Amino acid sequence: MTIKNDILWRIYLAFFMVALVALAVLFQAFRVQVTEGGKWKAMADSLTTRYRTIEAERGNILSADGRLLATSLPFFEIRFDAVAPSIDDDLFYRKVDSLALCMSRQFQDHDRNYYKQKLIAARNQGNRYLLIKRKVTYPELQQIKQWPLFRMGRYKGGFIVEQQNKREIPFGVLAHRTIGYVRSGPGAQSVGLEASFNDYLKGRDGKRLMQRVAGGVWMPLNDENEIEPKDGADLITTIDLNIQDVAEEALLRALELHDADHGTAIVMEVATGKVRAISNLGRMGESGYWEKYNYAIGEASEPGSTFKTATMMALFEDGLVEPTDTVDIGFGETYYHGQAMKDAKPHNYGRVTVQRAFELSSNVGISKLAHQHYKADPQQFIDHLKRFRLHEKTGIEIKGEGKPLIKNSGDEGWSLLSIPWMSVGYEVKLTPLQILTFYNAIANSGKMMKPYLVESINAFGKPIKSFAPQAIETAICSEETLQKIHDLLVGVVENGTARYRLYNNNYRIAGKTGTAQIAQGSGGYAKVYQSSFVGYFPADRPQYSCIVVVTAPSKGVYYGGSVAGPVFKEIADKIYANQIQLQAEEAVATTVAESVPAHQSGYAQDFSQVFSALGLPIPDINEEPWVYTIRDGDSVNVQQLNIPKDKVPNVRGMGLRDALYVLENRGLEVIVEGRGKVYHQSVLPGTPVTSGRTITIKLS
Amino acid sequence: MWHKLLNKLHGDRYIWLIVGLLSIFSILAVYSSTGTLAFKYKGGNTEFYLFKHFGLMVFGFILMYLAHMANYRIYSRLAQLLLVISIPLLVFTLFFGADINDAKRWITLPGINISFQTSDLAKLALIMYTARYLSKNQAHVNDFRTGFLPIILVIGLVCALIAPADLSSAVVLFMTCMLILFIGRIHIKYLLATGVAGGFLLAFVILLAFTFPDVGRLGTWKNRIESFTTEQEPSYQVVQSKIAIAEGGIIGKGPGNSSQRNYLPHPYSDFIFSIIVEEYGLVGATTILMLYLAFLYRTVKIVIKSPGAFGALLAAGLAFSLVIQALVNMGVAVNLLPVTGLTLPLISMGGTSLWFTSLAIGIILSVSHYIESNQQQHEEETASLTDEQLAQQAA
Repeated sequence: MTIKNDILWRIYLAFFMVALVALAVLFQAFRVQVTEGGKWKAMADSLTTRYRTIEAERGNILSADGRLLATSLPFFEIRFDAVAPSIDDDLFYRKVDSLALCMSRQFQDHDRNYYKQKLIAARNQGNRYLLIKRKVTYPELQQIKQWPLFRMGRYKGGFIVEQQNKREIPFGVLAHRTIGYVRSGPGAQSVGLEASFNDYLKGRDGKRLMQRVAGGVWMPLNDENEIEPKDGADLITTIDLNIQDVAEEALLRALELHDADHGTAIVMEVATGKVRAISNLGRMGESGYWEKYNYAIGEASEPGSTFKTATMMALFEDGLVEPTDTVDIGFGETYYHGQAMKDAKPHNYGRVTVQRAFELSSNVGISKLAHQHYKADPQQFIDHLKRFRLHEKTGIEIKGEGKPLIKNSGDEGWSLLSIPWMSVGYEVKLTPLQILTFYNAIANSGKMMKPYLVESINAFGKPIKSFAPQAIETAICSEETLQKIHDLLVGVVENGTARYRLYNNNYRIAGKTGTAQIAQGSGGYAKVYQSSFVGYFPADRPQYSCIVVVTAPSKGVYYGGSVAGPVFKEIADKIYANQIQLQAEEAVATTVAESVPAHQSGYAQDFSQVFSALGLPIPDINEEPWVYTIRDGDSVNVQQLNIPKDKVPNVRGMGLRDALYVLENRGLEVIVEGRGKVYHQSVLPGTPVTSGRTITIKLS
Repeated sequence: MWHKLLNKLHGDRYIWLIVGLLSIFSILAVYSSTGTLAFKYKGGNTEFYLFKHFGLMVFGFILMYLAHMANYRIYSRLAQLLLVISIPLLVFTLFFGADINDAKRWITLPGINISFQTSDLAKLALIMYTARYLSKNQAHVNDFRTGFLPIILVIGLVCALIAPADLSSAVVLFMTCMLILFIGRIHIKYLLATGVAGGFLLAFVILLAFTFPDVGRLGTWKNRIESFTTEQEPSYQVVQSKIAIAEGGIIGKGPGNSSQRNYLPHPYSDFIFSIIVEEYGLVGATTILMLYLAFLYRTVKIVIKSPGAFGALLAAGLAFSLVIQALVNMGVAVNLLPVTGLTLPLISMGGTSLWFTSLAIGIILSVSHYIESNQQQHEEETASLTDEQLAQQAA
């Protein structure tokens, strides 16, 4: 036999064998179809798998200084598999009494007999998914896990835990409407930052393949999630919780004092346009006030006298008027085409300077100037207003910003009365935030900043998107005009309508009062007022601008200076005392080391982030993930914290999250008391770990 | 245009045709079965995986084309080189490879950022090398010490390096190599002895898996073997695969109508055959099987024509390897074999392993290409000879 032939018979044989296997595959497929077909087809009809959504943890919303404004807390639903395979009658009846007693004690709602009957009934009915309790908190869960039977876990003890996340707002009413909420379902509305940044906050839900087993219980099919949930990003807002607190409190007091319908207060950082506080309170029947609508952003209304500043700015820009010019305001009443324009009160000032007319907030004076100079070409006035960007939304991140109304000459509704009335803040509509943005530009040397609420969006503590201050307009008017306007606004507080309530010797405020009658539909103006004050401080080197608007005060006092002015003053005083003055006094820079806690333990990577943010040298902490700090004169040293796997670690000085991580990783059951940093642990460091042992840590 | 293109393709036309038909099946089945994947990861962009797969396939064709243009004799040299490269690579992968499901099978090529399974490379290299070895040593191939021992040691080494991360690939490769040794005229008693030894070794590994299920992949192996051998409660994948096959019937539900693709894990690779049966029925299954057998048959034809032992063993080795892998994959789908992670060559969606398959087919075609052109030359020579004879006769 030649070599070739030898190879050939072998290859034919090999081919034959392979063909046989192929035939076997085909036959087996045929067999599955014919002999087992019925069974598999029946199974296909009742296919019992589905994907369950694993909720991603929603991101937090934090204040500028890192305090939680909105966060997601886990809650747990406790269920019981009354006929779990490992629970036999003997075990069940041995434990049912003590289990029922635990339930009765923990929940305090029914006696032990009730629970005992419930458990026995569930067992008799073969219930594998008996609801024990909804909305159980984490600490409660830790106790429930210790109960008889339940402590044996899911399969041996029939203990089923399902986690849900609930949104919590730790500071309650503070900036509640601006933080907002997300609701789903037909007709439900989502508002605030929660709605605007929902895409970032919500993260991406995971998926897990579940299979239904007997009794209607869904069990995960595989060990891991098919798609891991991706937690949402955090929002770092511009809100300063201290200022917010001050603003909210001052506003609330004024609303209660004047029994007003609603009000708003906004504080903005002059140089950047960052909204430091935004408070909106509206009356909720008899039960007081709550953040029920975002008036600051959503409610465009006729501003009244605070608009006069824009009128004066236009007149100065055109060089038509000087503050030292005079205007005859007579007895506080004048007529345009038969329509009366009145000052707040009758008086007999007669001819006064323009500066004085503004300080007195004379409708007659301001409207006369506007009428005189702009009646020939009204659009010239309108064009100025547009240059001041008063006709545009600010573009703040929150949905539903009110649209400003600045009519063009010749628009529908335009009349010969439009110029005089617009000049004193009627026939125009602006939201409080829009007015504040304009005044903030005056404070910021003419540079108009876009107001914003979100500094950055962070994922795992690192910014994935940062928002820098943004200028809407680099100069809304000339420097000369700006100086004149500034002097007018200072004059209002020093000599004018706001002197009584706002003048003080410590620092200077510049601003303008506003008292507007509120239009009631088409029926004209009723005796319902909107009192406002808008301005900035300290006047010489402005750092904050602020607007306070109180709508429908009902105790007979309604002037802007008297209702809104004190709120402004209270906010400004506290900010000045707590921040501006302090800053001036602490001109000497504090050493960085003093701002680092003297002793702190934690996860090394967290530390290196903190250190790099503070500009400190990052110590070499690669070897050991857990470290603690010690102060060494002016600097901070990081020491490695040796945590052997089989010993109870020293967690004193750690935050709760780190401590829980370290302890639970060693199989210890942790009981937590208090909040803050750990100062006490019930099991001494270095004790050998016995799994399941309980350790109590106290935090302060 | 088509004509021109076809003229560019050398080698066995039928093999080209079979590869084309399998690719069409592949496109259809992959498009159908990646629906859920697309919804999970690509926001419902169902074309994403289609285009990705198509792109990989086109590149595979380019590799195939290039490989078949080369004279197959260079693969003899290349075999040595590749084997020398792949052994250290396997060791490297075992220790530093990317870890997926406790299995380190993948390494990433630095620079171009393409990751591939080193076992794919090693498989190709080992088969080529075996063909080379057998052809070089035909004279004393029946001698144990100089003929059999050297090559079985190499085969054993490579398979042992693949086994920890990918036992099923190692076993299939080992069996394929035994088949090539058999074709290459190694004495059958040596092979039987090796088979018995290999069987014992496998049994030992399985025993190990049952004794230490917590170490590495031993647990996975244990589970798969257990669920295959025990009667009650077949594993989830097997149940779903059988449902797919039962649902398919004779002619299937039609393209794109699979419902089991939502339940089967990896319906686009490990269990693509089940999806094909579900959508195209036993008719489709038979077609696929026939195509693989036809491919093997055409390769046997090449072997018959091949003048030298190297070309014959090279083509036969690569073709058997490919078809055996295909049969193992289909055997898993119909539950003839325990669950493995082997793909269905040329049909499963897969990245770089598709390219190694394409290379293998390209090499087979290269053998065919050069046999054909030699024959042509031969015929031309005889033709000119006849002319000369004619001329002589005329003179």
